Amino acid sequence: MRQVIVGNHAVSWGARLARVEVISAYPITPQTQVVEKLSEMCANGTLAARFIKVESEHSAMAACVGASAAGARAFTATSSHGLVFMHEMLHWAAGGRHPIVMANVNRALGPGWNIWTDQNDSLSQRDTGWVQLYCETNQEVLDTAIQAFKLAEAVDLPVMLVLDAFYLSHTAEPVDIPDQEMVDRFLPPRTARLKLDVNEPRAFGALVRPDSYMEMRWLQQEAMREVPHVLERIEADWLRMFGRRYGAIEGYRTEDAELLLVTSGTVTSTARFVVDRRRDEGEAIGLVKVKMFRPFPTAGLRRLLAGVARVAVLDRNVSPGHGGIFAEETRSALYDLPSGDRPEVYGYVLGLGGRDVTPSVIDEVIDRTRQCAQPEREDVWVGVNP
Amino acid sequence: MSQLLIRDEVPRDDLMTSGHLACPGCAAPLAMRLVLKGMGPRTIVVMPASCWSIIAGPWPQSSLQVPVYHTAFATGAALASGVRAALDVRGETDTAVMVWAGDGGTFDIGLQALSGAAERNEDLLYCCYDNEAYMNTGVQRSSATPWGAWTSTTPVPHPEASPKKDILAILAAHRIPYAATASVAYPVDLLAKVRRARAVRGTRFLHILAPCPPGWKSADEETIELARMAVQSRIFPLLEVEDGERWRLTVNHAAEAVEPYLRRQGRFRHLSEEQVARIQADVDARWGALMRRVDTGVLEV
Amino acid sequence: MPCGARSSRGRPVSSRSAGRATRRGIPPVSVSGTSTLVTHTGSWKYIWPVYHDRVAPCNRGCPVGIDIEGYLNLMREDRVADARRLLLAENPMPAVTGRVCHHPCESACNRGMFDAAVSIHAVERMLGDLALQEPLSDSVAPRRDERVAVVGSGPAGLSCAYHLSRFGYHVTVFEAASAPGGMLRQGIPEYRLPRAILDGEIERIRALGVEMRCGVRVGADLPWERVLADFDALFVASGAHASRALGVEGEDGTGVRPGLAFLREVNAGARPSVGRRVVVVGGGNTAMDCARSALRLGASVTVLYRRTRAEMPAIADEVEEADREGVAFAFLAAPVGFHVVHGTLRAVECERMALGEPDASGRRRPESTGERFTLLADTVLTAIGESPDLDALPPDLARRDSGVRVDPLGRTSRAAVFAGGDVTEAPRTVADALGAGKRAAVGIDRQLRARPREPRDADDLEALRFGGGNISALRWLGRDPVARVAPVNEVVTFEELNLNHFVKVARRRDTHARPERARATFDEVNRGLTREEAEEEARRCLNCGVCTHCDVCLIFCPDLAISRNGDGAYRIALDYCKGCGVCVAECPRGAIVMTREGP
Repeated sequence: MRQVIVGNHAVSWGARLARVEVISAYPITPQTQVVEKLSEMCANGTLAARFIKVESEHSAMAACVGASAAGARAFTATSSHGLVFMHEMLHWAAGGRHPIVMANVNRALGPGWNIWTDQNDSLSQRDTGWVQLYCETNQEVLDTAIQAFKLAEAVDLPVMLVLDAFYLSHTAEPVDIPDQEMVDRFLPPRTARLKLDVNEPRAFGALVRPDSYMEMRWLQQEAMREVPHVLERIEADWLRMFGRRYGAIEGYRTEDAELLLVTSGTVTSTARFVVDRRRDEGEAIGLVKVKMFRPFPTAGLRRLLAGVARVAVLDRNVSPGHGGIFAEETRSALYDLPSGDRPEVYGYVLGLGGRDVTPSVIDEVIDRTRQCAQPEREDVWVGVNP
Repeated sequence: MSQLLIRDEVPRDDLMTSGHLACPGCAAPLAMRLVLKGMGPRTIVVMPASCWSIIAGPWPQSSLQVPVYHTAFATGAALASGVRAALDVRGETDTAVMVWAGDGGTFDIGLQALSGAAERNEDLLYCCYDNEAYMNTGVQRSSATPWGAWTSTTPVPHPEASPKKDILAILAAHRIPYAATASVAYPVDLLAKVRRARAVRGTRFLHILAPCPPGWKSADEETIELARMAVQSRIFPLLEVEDGERWRLTVNHAAEAVEPYLRRQGRFRHLSEEQVARIQADVDARWGALMRRVDTGVLEV
Repeated sequence: MPCGARSSRGRPVSSRSAGRATRRGIPPVSVSGTSTLVTHTGSWKYIWPVYHDRVAPCNRGCPVGIDIEGYLNLMREDRVADARRLLLAENPMPAVTGRVCHHPCESACNRGMFDAAVSIHAVERMLGDLALQEPLSDSVAPRRDERVAVVGSGPAGLSCAYHLSRFGYHVTVFEAASAPGGMLRQGIPEYRLPRAILDGEIERIRALGVEMRCGVRVGADLPWERVLADFDALFVASGAHASRALGVEGEDGTGVRPGLAFLREVNAGARPSVGRRVVVVGGGNTAMDCARSALRLGASVTVLYRRTRAEMPAIADEVEEADREGVAFAFLAAPVGFHVVHGTLRAVECERMALGEPDASGRRRPESTGERFTLLADTVLTAIGESPDLDALPPDLARRDSGVRVDPLGRTSRAAVFAGGDVTEAPRTVADALGAGKRAAVGIDRQLRARPREPRDADDLEALRFGGGNISALRWLGRDPVARVAPVNEVVTFEELNLNHFVKVARRRDTHARPERARATFDEVNRGLTREEAEEEARRCLNCGVCTHCDVCLIFCPDLAISRNGDGAYRIALDYCKGCGVCVAECPRGAIVMTREGP
């Protein structure tokens, strides 16, 4: 069934089709429609889930952890301050190996209040142990939402599905909504291996001493290492059943490129437009879209970027005191390529707080990258610091 | 018979084991032991950070013979709400969910989650074992610390300057079906309350006074006596509230003066006579206010 | 970790190529696998609790040496027959003592500091009366060859005879009077001790095989040396029958009589004339007996005592009853002369006294004020103390105070001669006499058995005593019918109890005949309690120091370290006990103590 729906509702549809069992969520702009739609679905009986109207996001994640610990398929959605308020429990969800799925609408952090799109909220949570998947279209949002549960339950890690504020959350696009029956075949009900069970009483989360803690974190790291392979299989299944595939990373017109852009989120769509125009003008230019930020797609990026002369990373985020986060992680991934294969990486911080990233901004980025033989010592803040 | 035989009123079976790490004479394991006797094996315990996070034993041990989820400090009632929802959605409605929190995780950092759960009337039993300070981290004050008490963050000559937060009134204001206070020195009363709580649905709250020898600077062996004196001096009356409206006293005594209770605890050693008199006056006033609220019906002792 | 290795399956389980983590079997999350029983928290303790049954203060206070707490405990378990046996194993005449003993057990009773002492005398009396109505058979030791002579059939002599007989000896009791009982028959009036009761108790002793030879005065009718030759041991219990003189001129004259002589007459059934007004001098039980007997002979009676009511040595209940019956009391007064007119006593000249400094007895010394007054009197009965006739005793018996000197087992300075009761030093009470008789029986038994190992007196004796009190015959026989847990011979004080576990229950009051009716006859005044009332009263006993398996310790242990064995006894898991002491603090009856780790 094809419908024109906003990104937030694509999230709702994804959660519904995945037959989530427990939802606990707190409203925050621009996520509110996700939960409103889900409330409506629970109220009219089209979704047989318990909806806990918690009193804060910290409690929302706590309730998801509790529900997941008891063996249920749990879901929440948030944005910005809501996400960072949950920070403590994000660690708990990942360290507890709970396959929770959460949609985060990328929105800037205050002060001052800013409701527009920005990636600092999700990226500041990169060390919490969640898988992070950044979406470019509403179709991708819906598809990824469902896949996220399968991925999470396969590796027992929580998965964050990320979409841009307003550009996706509030923008209506035509979306193909899969059949429930087919989704059921793709994603069976969750059967937790270990859970809170009065028939097999166990204690979860008791104190772990230095002699054992590292091993548990190592196993969590091992699970993260599995994610790319599991995701690949899941996408192969999805392709077979629904005809669509995205990839942890996607190279677009990268063949014999002299310059590759690295993008994520909706900036990717704008960048594709600019790449196409410039290719038409004879430039050897392409882009790499990073969908899977955690685990960081080191192997994939090395494959696509090795031997390219210049790489321009577009970061709609910044780690104060360092630079754009995709840029620093990309540099780190490329570091031990042989020096001949290692590209120059140019970092560009742009679009913070929802500042529009237009084709001319991307043109500026490309031109500047071509003109400078070496990247600046610090990332260039486009439109702010020359 | 001259002795009040509690033997016949306390079930034999236990759902926890020895080998736990509570300090000698700690009331917290005793409180848990008694509550679990009343709750039975179909109980899931959600345990935010408190002394019991350590008492329960480190991985891979557990002193409890029911499922336990150790969770972050502020999240007891919220996490439990999630557990409850998961059980309900899968039809396991006869398994009880119980939060087991200290005063920190109830009165302070956990209050938001508790208020949220109570307002939603989540079907769970919330037990707060109250040793009147953040004991696990080394006796720092909480909003449950009584006026005048020494703690490591309210040291003499500036002991605790706020009165103890009236958590029962707060919960009563949420109009939850059942809230009660209990003391480890009155096990039969405590068990009766657990049973009454278990028999209703919605949010139920049990506030249990749990003396702490290191934190109260009292002798290990005096824990029960202190838990008794707190009741007899009316500092900690044993009450029930139903639906936030019907208040009932469950144990009544001729009043004892507060001073002997205070003088047995090193945390009150510095109190002057005037300060003791002020505490006595406050207790008397609160008792008067309580009596105006309470039905005259007194349940069995 | 081999480079580049990866699994082809997305399973998060640890059983893959995870290196050391896998080999150590650590799971992906903190999830429990065992209980905390692997942690032996008992290593934390430096002191720990031990169950020790200890001694209730009533036991230590009883001069007879009765396991009072023991029989009350048996009654709590509805084992009335066993309670009787335990009582009779130590006390040959509970129906008597339940009526006339000054009950120091009740004064010592810890419950007295809670609500009111247990009415032990009433329970004892009920059991004693029951034993007379429904005798139970009892085992007696096999007969021995030795023969023991007992001189005097008062409580001391009867007790000694009873116990010796139960130890297996042939006993012959010599009694100067025509009927046995000593002061019990001659001194105590029937309204306090009905004859049928006394006769029944004595009959029990006779039924053991004790030979009673009444009307024989040893030392006169029968020489001491003859008795010493014919018997293997001798117990002298001839009592104290000589009334102490007032030291007032005219006391040998008309109208002035020793109280004991008066009582002997009345108790033999006579009803002598005493006139309309009687004055009794003295403040002890004899004085009360004289006063109330004179009352019953139709006189109005005044008791003259040189101190105040608080210092009177008589049993408080006796004074109460005398008061209720209408006996008048003149305190702080002493006789200094008698007014005799025409050969008939008319009045007593009295002097007012005042209390000065305490004397040797600890009581304040009465001092003359010089003030005088006159009391009309037809008869004066003197009852200011009795003393034994030491010259009528075997020669060479060392003395102390006003009596024969004896050691803790009744031995005198002469070989094979033992003594006890009023013939020895004070205190002169029925209970002390009964206790003395038992001690001498033990002393005689020990001497005659000639144990191969010479016992160390002090240790042996201590183990036989109830917490430093009097000797138990059962312990001497090596039996302890009330099962005790690691008994320690220490008395439990009031402070060691935890009375929060008890409710107050009013003490049952004995039923008394109304004073106006009581004073008109010699019928028994105090009717005691019914069996049901006595059984209820017995349940007021706190069982000081003796575990009754109430489970308080087990329930309050924060470490669940206390459990019950198959046989019901408590077991403390020392592997887990942290030595907090809560069990000791909460034990209602002080049956657990803390002990320090030794070397």
